[in-house]
Amino acid sequence: MTDVKSFFETPAPPKYSGILSWLITTDHKRIGILYLFSILGWFALAIIIGLLIRLELMFIGETIFSPEQYNALFTLHGVIMIFLFIIPAIPAIFGNFILPIQVGADDVFFPKINLLSWYLYMLGGLLAIISLFGDGPPDTGWTFYVPFSVSTNTNVSLTIAAAFILGFSSMLTAINFITTIHRLKASQMKWMRIPLFTWSLYATGWVQLLATPIIAITLLLVMFERWFNIGLFDPDRGGDPILYQHLFWMYSHPAVYIMILPGMGIISEIIPTFARKSIFGYKAIVFSSLMIAVAGSLVWAHHMYTSGMSDTAVFVFSLLTFIVAIPSAIKVFSWISTLYKGSIQMSPPLFYALCFIYLFSVGGLTGLVLGAAGPDIHVHDTAFVVAHFHFTMFGGTGFAFFAGLHYWWPKLFGRMYNFKTAYLSGVLITVGFMFHYVPMFIIGLQGMPRRYHDYLPQFEQGNYLAGYGAVIMVIGMFMMLINLLIGIKKGAVTDSNPWGGVTLEWQVPSPPPLHNFVSEPKIMDYPYDFSRFFKKNK
Amino acid sequence: MQSSSDHEGSKLGMWLFLYTEIMLFGGLFVLYAVYYHKFTDDFIAGGQQLDTFFGTLNTVILLISSFAVAAAITAIQNNSKKIAIILLGSSLLCGFLFLINKYIEWSHKFEVGIYPNSEKLLESDPGLNIFFGLYYVITGLHGVHIIIGMALLVWSLVRVKSNHITDQNYVLLENAGLYWHLVDLIWIFIFPLFYLIL
Amino acid sequence: MGNILNPAEQIDQAFVYIIGFSFVLLFLITAVMIYFVVKYRRNNHPISSDIRGNWVLETVWVVIPTLIALSMFWVGWESYLGLRNVPPGAIEIELIGQKYSWILIYPNDKETENELVVPLGKPIKLNISSIDVIHSFFLPAYRIKVDAVKGLSTYAWFLADKIGEYDFQCTEYCGTGHADMNGKLRIVSAEAYEEWLNQADEDDE
Repeated sequence: MTDVKSFFETPAPPKYSGILSWLITTDHKRIGILYLFSILGWFALAIIIGLLIRLELMFIGETIFSPEQYNALFTLHGVIMIFLFIIPAIPAIFGNFILPIQVGADDVFFPKINLLSWYLYMLGGLLAIISLFGDGPPDTGWTFYVPFSVSTNTNVSLTIAAAFILGFSSMLTAINFITTIHRLKASQMKWMRIPLFTWSLYATGWVQLLATPIIAITLLLVMFERWFNIGLFDPDRGGDPILYQHLFWMYSHPAVYIMILPGMGIISEIIPTFARKSIFGYKAIVFSSLMIAVAGSLVWAHHMYTSGMSDTAVFVFSLLTFIVAIPSAIKVFSWISTLYKGSIQMSPPLFYALCFIYLFSVGGLTGLVLGAAGPDIHVHDTAFVVAHFHFTMFGGTGFAFFAGLHYWWPKLFGRMYNFKTAYLSGVLITVGFMFHYVPMFIIGLQGMPRRYHDYLPQFEQGNYLAGYGAVIMVIGMFMMLINLLIGIKKGAVTDSNPWGGVTLEWQVPSPPPLHNFVSEPKIMDYPYDFSRFFKKNK
Repeated sequence: MQSSSDHEGSKLGMWLFLYTEIMLFGGLFVLYAVYYHKFTDDFIAGGQQLDTFFGTLNTVILLISSFAVAAAITAIQNNSKKIAIILLGSSLLCGFLFLINKYIEWSHKFEVGIYPNSEKLLESDPGLNIFFGLYYVITGLHGVHIIIGMALLVWSLVRVKSNHITDQNYVLLENAGLYWHLVDLIWIFIFPLFYLIL
Repeated sequence: MGNILNPAEQIDQAFVYIIGFSFVLLFLITAVMIYFVVKYRRNNHPISSDIRGNWVLETVWVVIPTLIALSMFWVGWESYLGLRNVPPGAIEIELIGQKYSWILIYPNDKETENELVVPLGKPIKLNISSIDVIHSFFLPAYRIKVDAVKGLSTYAWFLADKIGEYDFQCTEYCGTGHADMNGKLRIVSAEAYEEWLNQADEDDE
């Protein structure tokens, strides 16, 4: 296999070398790597901001930040984590790198637009940075609720412009993936032969097309309000601020599924590979992804039970919310059944995937409390909600992302990381995670509101404990990232298929050559058929 | 596995993009619907202050230009480059006329003191303020789309001239045409909502 | 007082119902997962069985969770109704959010800031609004929370069933002083309330 030159050694376009061969590349693998490092950079920054927030909250009173600084920090933490990390991370890195290979294609359908998406991503990030200066960083929270976001004097317009551009970038990626799957999948790749990771990105793509334009127009309207003072959401002039919340959540709730579906896709790849066993209920997982995409678009107003909307609306949205919980439950049950009578080999990707199942289940189950109309009234906008969505977004998507990093790292770079450090950091992150967020459930139930710079004395103990958890967790995450980075240089060289995977990306060399396939690959009737491993062994 | 020759795929991508544009304006139409429900009388009063003549004129102009683009595509398919260039040029001209009309209409409104945050609107009924707020946002955003569409048409025109768009490879022109039809279509929704039915 | 149900108790029951099921489910999921991973480890079980699905099992785990979820929905909804249906004879108090405090106006036009005093045993209805950005009134002890929106009148009620002091806070982010926007609810005896209510506003305004 070593006689094939990898894509790292083959610049694309061919006449350029060095940095230019990256900056104007249209190779999906190079773009994937560009995304990898830019996204990890943002992630590290947002982690540090998050840690600073927790340190401030460890003690009652003003500890290290003034209220203004604190408000800017939690806004930045949210904006960066959501728009620059969670939404793009899995699709832009692994989607770009793995998806075309998984469907047997040479590249995505629109390679130039793919590069444009990356530039838009960087531009959005740049604007977010610029917004820190001048009138000062925005202090609205990532939700930009009117009328506050219209009346505050900080750089809200710039941050909104950043979010708008980032939305555009992710939308272009979605168009690219959907077109790629429709037009470029290998001729034998029937729909029911597509690997589940690709399926999850397909469903995600549709949600993005459905939802992103709505946030685009909503954010544009906030900008127009700030510039021209039209009064569309100003109650004094006939506007309705609640309408803004409807528009906002019409996007932002589906966005939650934009964040979690690709993560579920990764888990659906990892579990069968390490159990060396067919995924349980392939079709059920595919259809539950599509169901989540459809039903998830209809539950937005469950963020608004306390907003003053009608009781009928509360009834409908609460009911729909409980129904959308079912497809996620189906997936969890399918993953666990896949382990039954498997031949399981413990390894870092599987370890992170199992942590994902546990943490995501906690997140999903506490979500039921929030979906139920009565109990939600009590816990809405408290630390309980903060803990809940960190369990789903971080324990869910974040851990799936970590699992994906460990799973595909040898494919991306052709080298392995240190297993012991990977396990140790996994344990640190998970333990720190529990220490960090479980106290927040408790103080949330006691009535600690979110977005508080300071709090009443009864909440100090919980916040203090959570601070320690945060420190452990952050140490674990940096340890994990450093371990992976060291692996690129010093890790053991791996062959094309270190885990014994059966999807197409494990049939090309690690790292893959510039042209993924020499000849059109052979597609199996069923994407998770592991029988060949057992024939050889006998 | 050459992607550039797959015109169906390029068009699929364009359709997906158009779909997002419809959702973008869809959000504004939702706002319109909700506020119309809330301030029906003010909306009717506001609609009567808009000039149906200008609205109709602009509708006709856009329909003609849409037709011209469609005809230009047929001309390219028949390999008659000259006719295609004339047709594209005339649809660009129509786009210009549309913008000029819009400019006249807007500046007239400004003269009588109807613009965002104007004193006249601040003093009048809240519904009227919302109506004109939506009027400016929706027609303004539509105007921006006209400009983007014209840029695409100019680009196609250049590519036709330099023989990059031929009867074998005209997907760029087709996509630009699709975009132009969409802009037209959105106007077909805006026109009755603001000028006709009120 | 005996015939008015305290909605806070219903909320707690709904919460316990949902969280109880959740704990059982979480325990089962985790235990089964760990059991499988240990039992079917590769050394122990080198050749996996090729099981691709099981319609009966899959139907069961769609139907049963759906039923559980619907029951949770119903319990949650019932408890929500308790918060919305104000019993007759409630004392109505106007509550206005502003940056960064709560203004309370009592039936006799007495005005206080961040100080809510009510008599024991009475249902209290709060009519809530805002004069600037959106705030949200949160009284954890009685499980109520409603947004205060300018131009919109919302309400919440609670049954003052126990003498004591309770905190209320703002839970919709409203700016620099968001975290300081809290106050105290005092539930006092009916006589003490009357006396307090008819006291002249010496410290306010």
